[in-house]
Amino acid sequence: MAQALKRTGLVFFPAFDWAISPTHPEREERLLYTRDQVMEEGLLDLDNIVEYRVRPAAFEDIQRVHFCVPDEASVTTESHLISAGGCIVAADAVMRGEVDNAFALVRPPGHHAMRVVHGNRGFCNINIEAIMIEHIRRKYGIRKVAIVDTDCHHGDGTQDIYWHDPDTLFISLHQDGRTIFPGTGFPNEMGGPNALGSTVNIPLPPQTGEEGFFVVMEELVMPLLESFQPELVINSAGQDNHFSDPITDMNFSARGYATLNARLRPDIAVLEGGYAVESALPYVNTGIIMAMAGLDTSTVKEPNYERDYRPQSPDVTRNIDRLTARLRLVFLEGKYDAPSHSPGDVLERKREIFYDTDGIFERQRELIRVCKNCAGALGVESAASKGTHIFGVRIPQGVCSECRKTALSWFDQAARGSFAHIFLQDRDRDVFERVSP
Amino acid sequence: MPKDKSNAPETGLILGLDVGGTQTDAVLISPEGVVSSVKVPTGDDLQATLQEAVGKTVSGVPPERVIRLAFSTTMATNAIVQDRLAPAGMIVSAGPGMDPAGFAVGPSYHVVDGCLEHRGFEAKALDREAVFAALESIRAQGIRALGLVSKFSVRNPAHELQMAEWAAPGFPHPAMGHQVSGNLNFPRRIVTTYLNAALQESHEAFVRALVLILKEYGLQGPRYLLKPDGGTVGLEESLRFPARTAQSGPAASIMGALALAPGTGTTLVLDVGGTTTDIGIIYEGAPLLEPFGIRLGPYLTLIRSLQTRSIGIGGDSEVRADSDRRLRIGPIRSGPPAALGGPSPTPTDAMIVLGLLEAGDPEQALRAMEPISAVLGLEVMETAKAVLDRTAELIAESVRAFLHFINLQPVYTVREVLEDVTIEPTGMVLVGGPAAQLAGPLERVLGIPCRVPSHAGVANAVGAAVSRVTSEVSLQADTGRGTVVVPEAGIHQFIDSEFGLEQGMAMAREALEKAVVEAGGTYVEPEVVVTEQQSFNMIQGFMRTGRNIRLCMCVMPGLIPEWAGRY
Repeated sequence: MAQALKRTGLVFFPAFDWAISPTHPEREERLLYTRDQVMEEGLLDLDNIVEYRVRPAAFEDIQRVHFCVPDEASVTTESHLISAGGCIVAADAVMRGEVDNAFALVRPPGHHAMRVVHGNRGFCNINIEAIMIEHIRRKYGIRKVAIVDTDCHHGDGTQDIYWHDPDTLFISLHQDGRTIFPGTGFPNEMGGPNALGSTVNIPLPPQTGEEGFFVVMEELVMPLLESFQPELVINSAGQDNHFSDPITDMNFSARGYATLNARLRPDIAVLEGGYAVESALPYVNTGIIMAMAGLDTSTVKEPNYERDYRPQSPDVTRNIDRLTARLRLVFLEGKYDAPSHSPGDVLERKREIFYDTDGIFERQRELIRVCKNCAGALGVESAASKGTHIFGVRIPQGVCSECRKTALSWFDQAARGSFAHIFLQDRDRDVFERVSP
Repeated sequence: MPKDKSNAPETGLILGLDVGGTQTDAVLISPEGVVSSVKVPTGDDLQATLQEAVGKTVSGVPPERVIRLAFSTTMATNAIVQDRLAPAGMIVSAGPGMDPAGFAVGPSYHVVDGCLEHRGFEAKALDREAVFAALESIRAQGIRALGLVSKFSVRNPAHELQMAEWAAPGFPHPAMGHQVSGNLNFPRRIVTTYLNAALQESHEAFVRALVLILKEYGLQGPRYLLKPDGGTVGLEESLRFPARTAQSGPAASIMGALALAPGTGTTLVLDVGGTTTDIGIIYEGAPLLEPFGIRLGPYLTLIRSLQTRSIGIGGDSEVRADSDRRLRIGPIRSGPPAALGGPSPTPTDAMIVLGLLEAGDPEQALRAMEPISAVLGLEVMETAKAVLDRTAELIAESVRAFLHFINLQPVYTVREVLEDVTIEPTGMVLVGGPAAQLAGPLERVLGIPCRVPSHAGVANAVGAAVSRVTSEVSLQADTGRGTVVVPEAGIHQFIDSEFGLEQGMAMAREALEKAVVEAGGTYVEPEVVVTEQQSFNMIQGFMRTGRNIRLCMCVMPGLIPEWAGRY
C-alpha cells in the first residue's frame, strides 16, 4: 500500500573486501546481489531517497556501550568500525532532520554482541545498534528508545545491553530458541529489577508465515509501542525469517517485510542477519527501502514466491494465537508476579556465555543495585576461557547519588583485586576509564 | 589520413568547433598551436550556423591541409530540451521491484510479462503474444522507431534479443537496452534506449547535412563528434548511439582547459560564458567522471559524462539590486550587455566601466550601472567592483556546493573508506569570454591561484579539436551460471568453471579495443584504465559453487597524441 512519500536516507556499506572467512555466510558476496537489485531498481535516483557516505565509528562511541577485552582495537576490524559508523551516519541524518527516516544497510551485523566483548558471537563483535543509540542519546538528548528486532535469531546481545535500562523498550521477534541459535529469548526474560517489562521476547514457532507476523505486529508490537511512547523507533532489520534462508526455518517474505516496515514506521532501520544472499536479500532490502520511502510495495515479490511460499499451517496459527494472548496478559495488562526484592538490595546473576564463532567460553557474575530513582549501579565480573579476568562498572545516565556511591565503591574494590582490566563506564558524565594493574 | 606518416602531420591542421548557446566558436590548430579562431552568433538554424562557422574558419586554407575535424554540437541537446524528439515505441519487460508502469516514456509504451533475475536467470519467459500485440499497436500509430528493454538485460540480453527478432520484419534496427551501457539501472536504461531510438532520424539527417557542408568546402579528413564524457566518436559511428552526443558543451570546455593549461594536482575548471558558468574538476591530469550518467533535460540517462555543474551566472547575466541593497545576478539573461545595446546592466558592463574590457559603448555601460548605484548608495566605480565581486562570490558558492556533493559520494569497500580521498582543488583554470577579468575576484574568494591560458576565449573549440576517442566496456562472468556477458560488445557466451579474472581481463581488453576502433579511434594500451575489478566467491551451504567476476574498463578522456606538449 502506498503512503505519503517520505524522505529516506540510505547508508549502504556492503564491505566488498571483508569476510569472517572465505566460505562463511558473513562474506564479501553477501550484499552483492542486494546492491545489484537496488541499483537496477534505480532507487537512488528517486528525489526522496538520499544516499550517505559512511565513515568509521570512533573507539569512544564503542566505549559508551561495551567493555572490550582487552581493548577495542583487539576485538574489532575496520569493517566493524565502519558498520557501526554507518549506523551513526544514518542516525545523524534523521536527527538533524535531513530525512524522515533512514536505513543502514551495512555489514557485519551486531545484535549478538553483548556488553562484555571477548570476541565474535553469532557473526557479531560490537553491537552496532546500541552504539548508534548511545550516540543519539549523548548528542541529541533523546531518552526513550524502542528497538524492534525482526531478525530470526534472538537479539541476545542487544537484550543484554539494555536488560537494566527502563528507557529502552527491546522487543525481539524470533524463531523459538529451543530450535535455533542462540537458544534464548523466552517470554520470562523480561528485564532486570529496575527495568522489568522493558524486554519483551516473542518466540515464534518454526514456519511462522506472513499471517503470524502480522498478528504479532497488531496484537503485541504496536500496542506495546503505543503504551511505551518512545521518542525513536529502531528496527533491527534481520532478514533471515525469509522462506529461503539457509540457516533458519521460517516462512516470511519480501512483501511481508515491506508491509511490516510500513506498519512499524521505524525512524531508523539497521540491517542485521539474513543469509539467503541471492533469493531473499535483494528483494527484502528493496522492499524495506521502498516501504520506508512510502512507495507502493505490492510489486515487490520474489521470482519464486508462487512456487516456494507456503501459507501458514493451522497449527502454527493456533500456537501464535495462544502465545499472543499470553504475552498480552503479561506485558499489556501487567499480570505477572511482583518481584520480592526491595530498593537498596544488590542482586547477583551468574551466567555462562558461549561465543560460537570464536569458540570462547565466558563466565559472568553481574551485580545490580535495585533502585527506584535511576537505572541502578551495575557491576560485571567476567572470566573468559582465553584466561582474561575483568571487572566492569557502569554508572547509568541520570544516576542517583546512592548508586554512584555504590558503583565507585565496586570500582575501588576491584582495583584492589586481581583483575587484568577494570573498566568504568560513567554514562552520566560520558567518561570511560580502563585500568590495567 | 592522420595515421599516414608520409602525409607529414607537421603541416596538417585540425579544425575544432563548439556550438554554444549564444556563440559558436571554431579554431584551426597547427603544430605551433592555435593559428586562427572565429566566433559567429549561434542562430536558430544549426546547419546554417555550422556552415558559416566552418566557411569562415577554412577560408583561404587549402582544404587538404585539414587532417582532422571535430565538432561539439547541440543537435541532440536541442531536440531533447525543446521536445522535438521523433515518436518512439517502447516495449519493456520487468519483474519484481518498482512498478515499470511508472517509467513510461514516449507515445507508445508497453509493459509485457517476462522476467530475468539479478544473476540473469530467466524467472519467467517472455510473453510472446503481448510482444506481438505491442508491436502491432506501435506500427498502427505510424511509429518508425523502437526501443526494447528488459530488467537485468546487462546480465542476460536474451529477452531483448528475442524481442528484436520478433520485431525485425517491421523494425530492422531497434535500440536495445543492453547495448547502451553495462551499468545497472533499469529506469535509466529505458530512458537512454528511448532517446537513442527517438533521436535516430534527426541525427541521421544532421550527419548527412554536416557531411554535405564538409564536402562543399572540400574537407576530407576524418571527422568526429564530441561526447559529454570528453571523448570523441567518429561521425558515421555516432549513428549507433545518437544520444551519446548530447550536451557535450561542458566537456568541450574542460578538455580545452586540459589542453591549454596542463598541470598536476587537482584543478578546478570554470568556463564563464554569456548565460552560464560550467564547473568541472581535473584530478591528476584526468577529468572527473559522473558515476551514473548525465541528466538530459528531464531525463536521467546511463550516458557517461564528465562530472560538471552548470550555474545560471555569466557575463551577460542580468544585474539587479534588491530593496534591501543586495545585488542579484542571474540566472536571467535579458539580452546582450547594455554596452552592446542590451536592456539591463550585466557583469560585462561592470568590466567595461572598470576599464578591464573594451567593448561596445562605455557610456551605455555607465548609464546602466547608475540605477544600481543609486540603490546601493555607492559610486558607479564602486558599484561595478561590487558587481564583479558578487559574481565571483556566487560562482564560489556553487563551486563549494559542487565539491561538497562530490566528496559525499558513497564508497563501498573498507579500503576506499579508509583512503577517504577528498577532492580539494589546488589551482583553477579559467576559460570562456570574460575569464581574465574575473580571475582576480575569483582568486580572492576561492583562495587558490588562477590561470587564464591564451586562447581561453575559444578553449571549448580547442577541447573538441584535440580530444581522443573514448569507449568503455563492462564484463560480468558468473561461473555458477556458466556465462560471461560484455553487454556493450554484444558478447554473451558460455564459460567453464575455470574461467578466472585473467581470462576476464583479456576478454574485456579485446572488446574494448574493438569498440575503440569501431568508434573511429586508435587503441593505445596505456590509455586504458580499469575502473572496477572484483572477483567474488559464490557460496552455497559453505561450499564454493562459483565465481562472480565484475570488470569495467575504459579509455579515459584525454588528448590526442598529435597535441602532446603544444602548451
